[in-house]
Amino acid sequence: MNALPALVLLPILGGGVAWVAGRIRPVPTPASRDAAWWVVLATLVMETLLLALVTFGHQPHAGPWLAHFSMPWLPAMGIAVRLDMDGLSLSLIWLSLVLCFPCVFLSTRQVTVNAGAFHFLFLATLTGVIGTFLATDLFLFFFFWELMLVPMFVLIATWGHEDRQRAAMTFFMFTQGSGLLMLVSILGLVMAHYRTTGVLTFDYVTLSRTPLSPALSMLLMVGFFMAFAVKLPVVPVHVWLPAAHTQAPTAASVLLAGILLKTGGYGMIRFNVMLFPDAASRFAPIAMGLGVAGILYGAWLSFAQDDVKRLIAYSSVSHMGFVLLGIFCGSRMGMQGAIMQMLAHGLSTAALFLIAGAIQDRLHTRDMRRIGGLWAAMPRLSSAGVFFAVAALGMPGLGNFTGEFLVLLAAWHVSPPLATVAAAGLVPAAMYALRMVNRIFLAAPRAGLRPGPDLPARQMAVLACVMALVVMLGLYPQPFMTFSLPLPVADMTGGEDGAP
Amino acid sequence: MIGHDVFLPAPLLVLSFGIMIVLAATACRRSAGRSLLGGMVTLLLALAVVGLHTGGVSGSEGDTLFIQDRWTTYTAALSLFSSMCILLMSWRDTAHEGAGTGDEYVLLFMLGTLGALAMVFSANYMPFFMGLELLGVSLMGLVAFRRRPATAGHEAAMKYLILSGVSSAILLFGIGLAYGVTGSLRFAPPVATGDIPAALPMAATVMILVGMFFKLSAVPFHMWLPDVMEGARVPVAAFLAVVSKIAIFSSLVRYFGAEEQPPFLNDILYAVIVLTILGGNLLALRQTSLPRLMACSSIAHVGYLLIAFLCPGLLQAGAITIYLAAYSASTLGVFAIMTAFAPPDGPEGTVIAQWTGLFSSRPFLASAMTLMLLSLAGIPPGIGFLAKFQIAATGVAHQRDLLVCVLVIGSIIGLYYYLNIIRVMLAAPLFPSAGQNRDSRPELTALVIVLTIIVVIGGLFPVRAIHPILPMHPALPETRDETVHWRAGLR
Repeated sequence: MNALPALVLLPILGGGVAWVAGRIRPVPTPASRDAAWWVVLATLVMETLLLALVTFGHQPHAGPWLAHFSMPWLPAMGIAVRLDMDGLSLSLIWLSLVLCFPCVFLSTRQVTVNAGAFHFLFLATLTGVIGTFLATDLFLFFFFWELMLVPMFVLIATWGHEDRQRAAMTFFMFTQGSGLLMLVSILGLVMAHYRTTGVLTFDYVTLSRTPLSPALSMLLMVGFFMAFAVKLPVVPVHVWLPAAHTQAPTAASVLLAGILLKTGGYGMIRFNVMLFPDAASRFAPIAMGLGVAGILYGAWLSFAQDDVKRLIAYSSVSHMGFVLLGIFCGSRMGMQGAIMQMLAHGLSTAALFLIAGAIQDRLHTRDMRRIGGLWAAMPRLSSAGVFFAVAALGMPGLGNFTGEFLVLLAAWHVSPPLATVAAAGLVPAAMYALRMVNRIFLAAPRAGLRPGPDLPARQMAVLACVMALVVMLGLYPQPFMTFSLPLPVADMTGGEDGAP
Repeated sequence: MIGHDVFLPAPLLVLSFGIMIVLAATACRRSAGRSLLGGMVTLLLALAVVGLHTGGVSGSEGDTLFIQDRWTTYTAALSLFSSMCILLMSWRDTAHEGAGTGDEYVLLFMLGTLGALAMVFSANYMPFFMGLELLGVSLMGLVAFRRRPATAGHEAAMKYLILSGVSSAILLFGIGLAYGVTGSLRFAPPVATGDIPAALPMAATVMILVGMFFKLSAVPFHMWLPDVMEGARVPVAAFLAVVSKIAIFSSLVRYFGAEEQPPFLNDILYAVIVLTILGGNLLALRQTSLPRLMACSSIAHVGYLLIAFLCPGLLQAGAITIYLAAYSASTLGVFAIMTAFAPPDGPEGTVIAQWTGLFSSRPFLASAMTLMLLSLAGIPPGIGFLAKFQIAATGVAHQRDLLVCVLVIGSIIGLYYYLNIIRVMLAAPLFPSAGQNRDSRPELTALVIVLTIIVVIGGLFPVRAIHPILPMHPALPETRDETVHWRAGLR
C-alpha cells in the first residue's frame, strides 16, 4: 500500500466531509461550525501521521526516492499519475502541515459565515500544494499547479477584507497567465523529446535527459521561470502579492505566504535549475540581479507601509529575493541556504500574519497609525509578535539568519559586489521590523483604543511550537540542511527507460 | 444517381419519421405535452441507432449522398445528446405555452435537429445544403418564438434571416463554381483538371469556406451571433451555440479532411483563427448580458477548435474529440443553469449583475456554474482543462508559434470575463430576490447534475485511448504513416 496518493487525496476528502458536516443543519449553528472545524483537525492529524509513516517507515522498493508511486492515466499521451518524494518535497510538505495547525487553532474557528465551505477550500488548497510538491509528471504538476489557485481565489474573494474581489482577480490573473507560459514550455519540452526519440511522455526523469539546443533550452527555461517568478514573487511581477496577502482572510494569508510562495521556489529548484542546468547557469546573472533587486525593493517598500499586513507582505518579497539569489548561485551551499530560507520564512511570516490577524480581530484595524502600545494590554500576543519580527529581520540564532547567511556566503563566491549589495538589504530589514515592533507593541498606548483579550494559553502553546522550530532551524540547522536537498537528476530512476 | 442508392443513416430516418408522426398527431389534437414527449422519444431513438444505416454499404467509388463512419457517429451522437438536453431545458416553458404554439416549437426544434444531422452525415453538396437550410429556416422560427418582449425576438429573427440568407447565397455560389470545375457534387474541395484555370477551384473553395465561417461565426463574419443569441430564448441560444456549431464544424472537417491544407487555405485559416480568438475574447470583455457573453466566448472557442483543425497529426483527433465534448457539455451546463435561474421569456436573469450573491441564495446552482465556467476557461478539474491542454499540444507539436501565443493571450483575456461572473456570484447579495427565479425545477436540476458529472469525470478520467475518429482520405499515403505513428504513441 503506497502512501503518496493518500497523502494527496486525504485533505480534499476530509474537506468534503467538513463541508457536509457544516451543512447538516439547514440553519448553521455554532455546533455545526465546530463540527466542520473538528473534522479539519482530525484530517490534519491523520495527514501528519501518514506523513510521519512515510518519513520514518522504510519503503523497500522505492529506489533513490523516499517514496514512489506510478499509475497510468492517459496512456495515449504518455501521461501518468507519477508521484515521487525526495528530501526537498518531504520537508516542504512538513512545513505545509506544520503551518496548517496554527492556522486551524488561531484563525479558522473565527469564520462564522459558511464555515464548512471555508474549511473545504482550505483543505483543497492544501491538496493542490501537496500534489504540486509530489508530482513528477509534468502534466500532473501543471494540473495541481492550476488546481490550487481556484480554492484560494474563492477564499480571498469571499472571506477577505474590504477590497477583496479586486485582489482575488489580480491574484488569479497573474498566476494563471504565467501558468499558461509554463504550459507552453512543458509542451515544447515534450514535443522536443518526441521529435528526437519518438516517445511521447510527460515523465520528469525521462524528459530531463532530452538533448536540447542552447537556444531552445533557454526559451523553455524562461517559460518555466515566468510562472515560478510570479509565484515566488520576483520583483517586476510581484504586484499581485501585496493586495492578495493584505485582503485575504488570516488563514488564507498564512497559506499564501507560508506555502504557496514556496511552490514557486520549489518549482525553480526542481524545474529550472535541475531540468535545464546549462540554461539556468547562463540565466543566473539576470536571476541573481532580480533577486537582489527584490531584496532591496521589497525592504524599501515595506519600510513605507502603514498597513501591518501590507508591511509583512512586502517583507516577503524581500525575503524571497534571498531564495532566488540562493537558487541561482549554482552551488550546493546556495541551494541549502535557499531551502533554509524558505522553511524559516514560511514559519516566521506565517506566524506574523497570524498575529496581524489576531490584532485585526481585536482592534478592527490594520493601520499602524491607529494601533499602539499593545504590550501592556496583550503581553502574550506582543511577545510572540516581537519574537517573529526579530526572526524576520535575521537575528543570529534564529532560522532566517541561517538561510540568509548561507545565501550571502554562496553569493560571495560568485560575485562579491552582488553579495555586498544584497547584504545591505538587511539594514532596511532591521529598520522596518523594529519600526513595526516599536509602533505596535512598544509605543505609548493610543487614546480611544480598546484592546481585546490576550491570546489564550492554548493558542500561545501552538505559537510556542512554531517558535521552537524557528530556534531549532537557527541553532542546529545541519540535519535539515542535509536532509532537505533535492535528489540529483543523475541519481533518479524511473520513467520509461528506468523500468522497461 | 439517387435511384439505385438507398444508403441512408438510420438517425435521419428515425428523425424524419418522428417528425411526421408528431405532425400527424398535431393534426388530431394539438397538445404541447404530447409533442414534447414525441420529440424526446424520437431523439432518444435516433441516439440509440446512431451507428446504424439502411441499404447497401456506401461505395468508396462513385457518389453517395450520405456517409457514415466514426466521425459522423461521434458528432451525430453529440448533437443528438445536446438536442435532448436543450429540449429538456425548454420543457417547462413550452408546456406552459399551451397547445397553440408549444407543439410548433417542438416541431421546429426537431426539424432543426434533422437539418444538423443531415449536415453531419452528408457526403454530397445536396444533402449538405438542404440540411443547412433546414437548420437555418427552423432556427429563424425558433428565434422568433420569444414572447416577452416580442420585438426582441422578431428583431433577432430578422437579423438571422438576412445574414443567413447572404451566407447561404455565397455558399451556393461556391458550390456552383465547384460543380462547374469538377462536374461532380461530391462533398470535397474542387481540384482543377484539364485546362481550367487554377483560380476557379480556389475561388470556389474560398466561397464555400466563407459560407461556413458565416454559420460558424468566425471573426470577420461574427456580427450576427451576439445579437441573435441575446434576442432568442435561452434554450434556443443554447441550440445556436452548440448543435448548429457542432454540425457546421463536423461538415467543415469532413469537407477539407483532417490533413495538411493547401498553402492558400492555410494562410486564410491562420488569419481567421487569430482574428477569431482575439476578436471573440475582446468582444466578451465588455458584455453585461450573459447570453451575449456566451456568444462571444463561443466565437473564441470556435477559434481554439480551428487551431486543432489546422494542426494535423498524432494529437489532432484526441484534441478535437475532447474539445467538442468539453465545449458542448460546459456550454450546455451554463445555459441550463441560466434557464433554471431566469424566469421564462423575460429579460430578467440574463444580466450578469442580477447574479449577485447567487452563492448565498442558491449554492448548488452557483457551484455548478462556477465549475462550468472554469471548465470553459480551461482550469482543472473540469474537462475543459484537458481540452485546452490538448489544443495547445497540437499547436506546439506543429510549431504554430503564433497560434499558440494567441491561444495563451486569448485564454488570459477569457479568464478575466469568466472569473468576473464568478466574482459577481461570490459577492454579497444586494437585493436578495430581484429577478431571480425561486421555484425549483427538478428536470433542470437533474440535467445540471448529469452535465456536472460529465464535466468532472471527463476531466479526471478521460477516455483511456482516444481513437482516431477523424475522416481521412484513404488515397493519401500519409494516412497509413499516421496510424503507425499513432500505434507508437499508444504503446
